This record gives sequence, structure tokens and C-alpha cells, in this order.
Amino acid sequence: MAVETQQGGAVGQSVRKVDGPSLVAGKPLFTLDLDIPGSLVGAILPSPHAHARIVSVDTSAAEQVPGVRAILHHGNVPRVPYTTAGQGWPEPSPYDTVLFDTKVRFVGDRVAAVAAETEDAAAEALARIRVEYELLPPILSPEEALAPGAPIIHDEPDAEGIYDASHNIAAAVDIPIGDAAAALAAAPVTAEATCEIPYSQHATIEPHCVIAYFDDAGRLVVRTSTQVPFHVRRIVARVVGLDPARIRVVKPRIGGGFGSKQEVLLEPVAALLALRTGRPVRMAYTRQEVFVASRTRHPMKVTVRLGATKDGALHALEMDVLSNTGAYGAHALTVLSNVGSKTLPLYNKAPHVHFHGRAVYTNLPVAGAYRGYGATQGYFALEVAMDKLAEKLGLDPVELRRRNYIRVGETSPIFEKIGEGREGTAQIVRSCALEECLRIGAERIGWREKRGQRREEGPWVHGLGMACAMQGSGITGVDMAAATLVMQDDGSFRLLVGATDLGTGSDTILAQIAAQELGVPVDRVLVYSSDTDFTPFDTGAYASSTTYVSGNAVLRAASDVRAQILDVAAAALGERASALELAAGVVRSRKSGKSLTLSEIGHRATYVTDQRQIAATASFACPESPPPFAAFFCEVAVDRETGVVRVERFVVAADCGVAIHPQAAEGQLEGAVLQGIGHALCEEMLFSPRGRCLNAGFFDYKIPSSLDAPAIEAILVPSEEPTGPWGAKSISEVGINGPLPAISNAIYDAVGARMVRAPFTPERVRFALGVIP
Amino acid sequence: MRLTGIRRFHFARDAEEALSLLAAYDGGAALLAGGVDLLRSPRGDIEGVIDITRIGLSYVRESRGGLAIGATTTLTEILASAAAPAYAGGLLASALSQVAAPPLRNMATLGGALVSAHPWADIPTVLVALGAEVRWQGEKVGKAPVEELYGTAFRGLFRRAVALEVVLPPWEGAFAHEKISRTRYDIALLNACCGLGLDGEEIRWARVAVGARPNRGERLPWAEEALIGRKPGGELWNEVQRLVESRVEVGDDRRAGAAWRRRTAGVLVRRALARAAQRGET
Repeated sequence: MAVETQQGGAVGQSVRKVDGPSLVAGKPLFTLDLDIPGSLVGAILPSPHAHARIVSVDTSAAEQVPGVRAILHHGNVPRVPYTTAGQGWPEPSPYDTVLFDTKVRFVGDRVAAVAAETEDAAAEALARIRVEYELLPPILSPEEALAPGAPIIHDEPDAEGIYDASHNIAAAVDIPIGDAAAALAAAPVTAEATCEIPYSQHATIEPHCVIAYFDDAGRLVVRTSTQVPFHVRRIVARVVGLDPARIRVVKPRIGGGFGSKQEVLLEPVAALLALRTGRPVRMAYTRQEVFVASRTRHPMKVTVRLGATKDGALHALEMDVLSNTGAYGAHALTVLSNVGSKTLPLYNKAPHVHFHGRAVYTNLPVAGAYRGYGATQGYFALEVAMDKLAEKLGLDPVELRRRNYIRVGETSPIFEKIGEGREGTAQIVRSCALEECLRIGAERIGWREKRGQRREEGPWVHGLGMACAMQGSGITGVDMAAATLVMQDDGSFRLLVGATDLGTGSDTILAQIAAQELGVPVDRVLVYSSDTDFTPFDTGAYASSTTYVSGNAVLRAASDVRAQILDVAAAALGERASALELAAGVVRSRKSGKSLTLSEIGHRATYVTDQRQIAATASFACPESPPPFAAFFCEVAVDRETGVVRVERFVVAADCGVAIHPQAAEGQLEGAVLQGIGHALCEEMLFSPRGRCLNAGFFDYKIPSSLDAPAIEAILVPSEEPTGPWGAKSISEVGINGPLPAISNAIYDAVGARMVRAPFTPERVRFALGVIP
Repeated sequence: MRLTGIRRFHFARDAEEALSLLAAYDGGAALLAGGVDLLRSPRGDIEGVIDITRIGLSYVRESRGGLAIGATTTLTEILASAAAPAYAGGLLASALSQVAAPPLRNMATLGGALVSAHPWADIPTVLVALGAEVRWQGEKVGKAPVEELYGTAFRGLFRRAVALEVVLPPWEGAFAHEKISRTRYDIALLNACCGLGLDGEEIRWARVAVGARPNRGERLPWAEEALIGRKPGGELWNEVQRLVESRVEVGDDRRAGAAWRRRTAGVLVRRALARAAQRGET
């Protein structure tokens, strides 16, 4: 077949996305595009109070609303403590949530749920549920939560895994290496930065949504917009008390996640409503509900203290974190851990390191996973502190990084000390192109010529800033992915993966990884993801894992299938398999020159001789987590008179190993940088004195639009990660770690004001400049 | 809240019919021009929607040296019109192109912006600065300067009246508009609109308005008086900046604080005056 004879490898090519044509044609691919006749509408009654006990719930009036089919509340739902965080087992987040509790802990917390024939009926029923509350004093900041005598947010006796409930501490980490305090005291040069990042939103296009229904065999099908279908299955089974074997979770196309859909939020509610009614149930958060009732980034205050020798060698590094996990502790420990584990190894030369952090409950919305996963907050403080240190040393900030960053063959004790809520795994860095990233980035932005020049254009003053960052590729000792690859009778392939394409392009990338091994064009590999009935296990799309972890599983399966193909061809050609090569859709003997096409091999194996299914399932557990690296450079212009900051240019040079799909990798970088610019300049959830979110929607919570985007130059600097599939590492998160500190440092270069509280609004910048700029 | 109560949708043939329909619903109907505010702040009590986009109020005409703009003319239509770009030194072109995003400018109408008169909006500040006049049809046809109207309980008026036309007077001189927002498509944290007319070396007339203070755009007559009869230039602009900083009424809201608004209002007025003077010269 002509299509099988296409030359050239699939890896490293920006091929057409496998789902691209159907997406641009507007095909009904997303969760709620499925219209199941007879579906009920599910809706949730949110708490109007930040902190209160529920004295009584009266549903009698609501039950009289025509069309109401079920009402759930704490009085008629089993109490099962769990965590909404979709993580591997053992779950590192505390079991501090029940489906419906006798206490509400933030404005928007779940009080009751209704299933009705129409949205109007559901809305009317919610309005008629009478709830009597006993108000409790709300805690609206981590400082209040830690104050002596503060009300206890989680006083329920059946919660598990909370670090210190009586002091509102969900999680705590303390990792001393050497004696950082003494080393800091003795250090010739020190620098310190305390940086704050507020509540912010993922702002996915598609809200959280789910349909729960029963299939012909009476099994519960949960079709949901999720990053973690297998965790959804496990958690829903536990919470609603159903045998997991009776649950199938289907992940269709997803309209973005960024971590917010690593949570199991609507699924158990929809499942329970479906169980109670025997009817299909559709649920979707409104945008307002997404803001307050889904998840946010963890607001944090991070202090970094650095001690260095006079020649700029870091000798001591201290990081202190106060994280606000909100009302529940989803990802509290792991995000907190990642603040240190994904930042401190970057500067591995310091013998004295101390990481200390607490994640604290408040009566505010629940924080969770968000691209960067704590590293974003950590790098803000670390890289501003590095800028300050460079200034004190009289060193170029780029040079200071050069003298301290981790090299190939090196390690950091942090890798072993801090893991995903437990001890980590020792590892050495096997690939790192940060030197080249720094060189190229500095060159492209004009670092040498422009930095420190404070070029003025009327009230606008220009400045340059930079930062470095790394991340990981999956979670060691936790992540596992599997892939099943099947050769069909026509010589094409089916690739079944539990990996979850959120719009990242991972289906395409996994097809490329398989196609490269099989010597076929990408369109000969049909990808299906993900369905807990049909695709093998995958921990899910988070922690920058899919290309590395799922990709390695795919590569292993493809290698196995390749070997089977050569075996069949060897028998057919009367040659030894070792004498055969597979390329461009043809198996050819190096010895005799005889050949068979893949379709001939597929046909033979299926129908002719020694019949068998050529197929393999392989899995990959993550023994190490190779970090991608990035150098960020930006030019800003600051209006001294008004405080307005414009990002004029942004250059990010990143090492993700071998980019399987360069355009997709560049897209990840560009998107992450723009999201980071939003953190730096405009994104912030605001709350009333009673804990109500004041800007729960895009009218007053601003994310950068295309017109706000500066020229972003995303440069992929290749390295080859020996443990990665075709040399690849991750790219999805690292790009968001740099904009906050790079922009802060650029503002300092321009006008001498250190911006340490995000976002850098005109008002904050103007006042940082003083009365007379 | 959603528009769940709508039972009937009417296309009015003229303003009278729109008004009689409004009266028939006795408060249970809403006029639909662009629909932006209807969607942003939906009312559950609305049973009838009365579309007024087919009653001939979408136009931009030159009128005695100024402009007459039909109330249902969208911002996009104004921007695309032949007459608007040259008016008041290009003020409409620059100010309206900074309002919201193109899809919203395709919906939003001048009459709607005038009547909704959001405190953070740019258009009321511009209309007040320009001395715009609005004509409406209620029990009878009425007209008033927008500035004067905003000093009355105008929202009650437009529950029983249809805005017909906004008349922008001729100005021999030029205007300029300044806006600060969090993103390109955001509402204003603060805005200012200033105009100047020169008579040789002297300022013959001046208009200064500041909006999103966070209250709605208002003229600052004392700033205008400080300009009239004076020689234009940087020194004067700086003086007016200081004057505005000392006297402008500003407040706090969740988007910005009063102290920043006070200082920045002076800056925006100074910049708008300088740009208006520059436009006037060309």
C-alpha cells in the first residue's frame, strides 16, 4: 500500500494532530456532546457561608417541585471520608472530605444535590431546600488559621491523614540537609526574598462536567471530563459503595485541564444520583462554580534565603513555605513537597539546605493541582532571591546560574529526601542542555546589550529579567502507564492507552512514538484513549508524565510488536529474524533482499499460516523523573507614572530532550508562558470579608487575551534523555515556572522596584515606585 | 439567574409599538438592542423581549458639523462608518476600539451603553466630555444633554422610553481618550477624555472628564476653567495634572484603590490634554 511506503521517521516531525480534523470540524467529541434521551439534570446547592454547622436540612418543599427525582444531603448519603485528589495509591492527600457533610467549610461547599427532569426544576428545587446553619467564625488566611485559639476547621473525628487538625495544618514537611542556619550566618554574601502568589484559576475552556448512566448490562458508565479516569473509577466505587467492576469510566476529548481535572468532584455525585434514580444524569459546573467549587492554585508565601561565597558559589539554601490549601487538603502535601523538590535540586551545589513548609486549612475555596504544582510558587521566590544575590555579588544573573546549576552526572540529595508526599528516589541527571538554553536565550533577548540600560520612551522604562527552572517527568515510584498495541489484518495498528489527552496532543505524540518503532506513518496507528473498560491502566495526565511515562510504555509495546512482526516475516521469508529490517512499512532481508509489506504480514498472521494476533501490552513504572530545564528571558516596559507593566518580549529556551512533536512542544511552552504572564500581571481571585469570591467569572477575573500576548519566542534546545522514549522528557509544566520571577526581575531592572506580590498590578507597581517616581 | 421566564419575543416596527409593548408587560419586558447587558445581568422576571433593532435606529450621519448616531448602532458600525473616524480628532475611532472585544463590539450599541451607564464604562465618559445629547421617545419625545440626564433618575425614564439618537455636537478642536485596564479587553480601572479648542495661542474651550473613579465619568469643570484662556503646553498640562490629583473625587473598589486613582487620574488627564492638543494641531 502506498501509505505504508512513506519515508522518514515520525519522531521529531510536527505531524497533523490525530484528533485535529474532527476538532476543527466541530464534531461532537466532548463529554456533554453525548445526548442520552431521558437524562436528568443534576445540580448542587452551595453553602452561602464560609464556616457553619448544618443544623437541619428540610427537603420537603423541594420534593414537591414537579420533575424532581432525587435529593441528596448528609442525612441520606453514607458518610465515607475520602480525598477528591485523583492520585495513585496510597493516596497522599488526607481523607478530610465526605460527599455531604454536617459542616460547610467555604462559600460554595456542597450542601445538597438534586436530580430533576429540567434545569429549571433543579434550580427551583435547590431554592426550596431549607437549611438551618449555625454560623462559625471563618478563617480567611493561613496566619489566622495558625493563630493560637483559632477555630478548628476539621474537627470531624473520622478524618484521616491530617497532619495536625487541631492547629489547622493539613500537611507539613521539614527536610534539613546539613546546617543551613549556621551556614547562612557564616556566609560572606546572603540574599533573601519573600514572594506571595494569590488564589488563581486554571481557566479551562470546558468546565467540569459528567454524564453518569447505565449500560445494557446494568453497569454504571461515567463519561467525564477528567485527567484521571482510573482514579475516578477507584474513588467513585469507594464513595458510592459500588463494586469497581460495575463501573466504567470513559474520557472523551477534553477542553483543557491544567490540573483542575485531576480532581474527582462531580463524578460521585452524578453516580449516586444515577443510582438513586436509575436514570442517566448530566452535570456541569457553571463558570462561577468552576471558580469557587472546583480547584485553584495554592496561594503561598515562600521565603528563600541564600548564602554564597564571594565568587557566587551557593553554600546554603533555605526555603520556608506557608501554603493555603483552602477548606480541604486535596494535594496539600504533594504540592507543598513539590515547592522544594522541583526547585532546590536546580542549584545542587549548596551543601546546606533546609526546606520547611506547612499547608494550612482556611475557609476559602479548595486549592489543588495546577500546572507547575508548587514549583511555580517556589521558583518565584528562588529566582527573585537569585537576582538579588547576583546584584549583591556584582555578578551577571546568568553567570550566577551558570556557576550553580546541576550538570549531567550530578545529583541532589533533595531527589531522595522529598518525594510525592513521602521520601523520593535518588537519581542522577542524565541530560541537561541548560547551558545552551542560557546562551541562546540571552542572545535572542539581547541580554548583554540591553540589560541595565533602562531605556526610556517617555514614561516607559525598559528592563530585562531572567530566571531558570526545571520540573520532572512523572512521579518516581508512583506513576505507571500501560499500552496495548495491536496489529490489524491490513497491517495497520490500534494503540490503546489509558493516557489522557487533555488537548495537549498526547494521543498524537504516543502514535508518533509507536510509528517510529514500527516504521510506519503516524496515520497507520489508530489511537484510542481512554476508557477503563478497554484501555490499560495509566495513572493519568499529570506531573508532566504522559510523554515520558506513557510514551515509554508505548515504546515497549511497539518494540514487542515489532519483534513479533519480524518473527512472522522470518517464517514467511525463510530467513532469520535478525537478518530482517523493518522500515517504511516493509520488512526486508538484508541478506536476500526479499521483502514483505506490513499488510502482507498482517494478512498472513491473521488468516494464512501459524495464525496469531500480533499484539503486545507493556507497562512502564517510573524509576526516575528526568527534569526538563528552561531559561526564561523577558523585556518589560514599565510606565513610571501609572504603574502599568507591558511584557514586550518573552524568550524561553527549553530542554525537553528530543521533542517528539516540536510544534506541540512549542505550543506547550507558549501557553505556559502566557499563563505565567497572567499570574504576573493580572490574575487574582478576590474575596469578601465573609469569604465570598468577588470575581468568580471572566468579567472581572482577567486572563491575558491574544492581544495581551507579547512576542513569545519558544526555542527547543535538544538533548537526549537516555531513559526517555526516543530521548524525550516532559515539557508541559516547566514553562509556567519562569514568567513570575523573570518579569519581577525585569521590573527591577527597569525601575528598581522589587515586585514580590503577584499579580504586579498597576497600583502595586506604582506604589512600589514611591510617591514621586 | 437566567432568562428562563421569556415567553414571547417581539420585533417592534417602530418606537411607539415598542413602547406600547413595554407598557403592556407592565415591567415584565425588556428592550433588546445589542443584548449585552441582558445577557450579563439576566432578569428572571422577564416574560417578553422586544427587539428594537428593526426600527431604523442604526445609522451614523453627519449633522450640522457633528454626528447623529442612531441608538441601536453597534460600536462596530460606528467604527466602520465613514463619518465617525474624523470626528473630534479621531476620538471615536480610538476610544471605541478600546471598548471590550470585537465580538462584544458587534453586539453593543451606543444607546445601550448610554442607558446602562456602567460606572466603569468608557462610553459615558466620552459622551459627557463631548457634550452629547440624547433624544428619546416616551410618552412624548424628549431630549437632554447626557451629562444632565446622568444627574437625574434616568434609569426609571428608560424603563418607559426608547432611546432614539445620540447627537454629538461639532467641535473645533480635538479630543483624546486615555484608559487603563488589566487586559486589553478589560473594563477600565480608570479613564479620561479631554478636548481642547485653540484660538491662536490660547485655549478657547476645554473639556475634561474622568470615569471609572470608580464612579461614572463626570466632567471636572474646575479643571476646564483652569485651562481656558491659557497657553497650551507641558507646563499647563502639569499644572492641571496636579489640580486633578488634588481635587478629583475618587474611591476604592476591588479593582483599584482611591490613592492610585487620584494620582493616576492626573496623569491620564495630562496625557489626554497633550494628545488632544497634538491632534488639534494636525
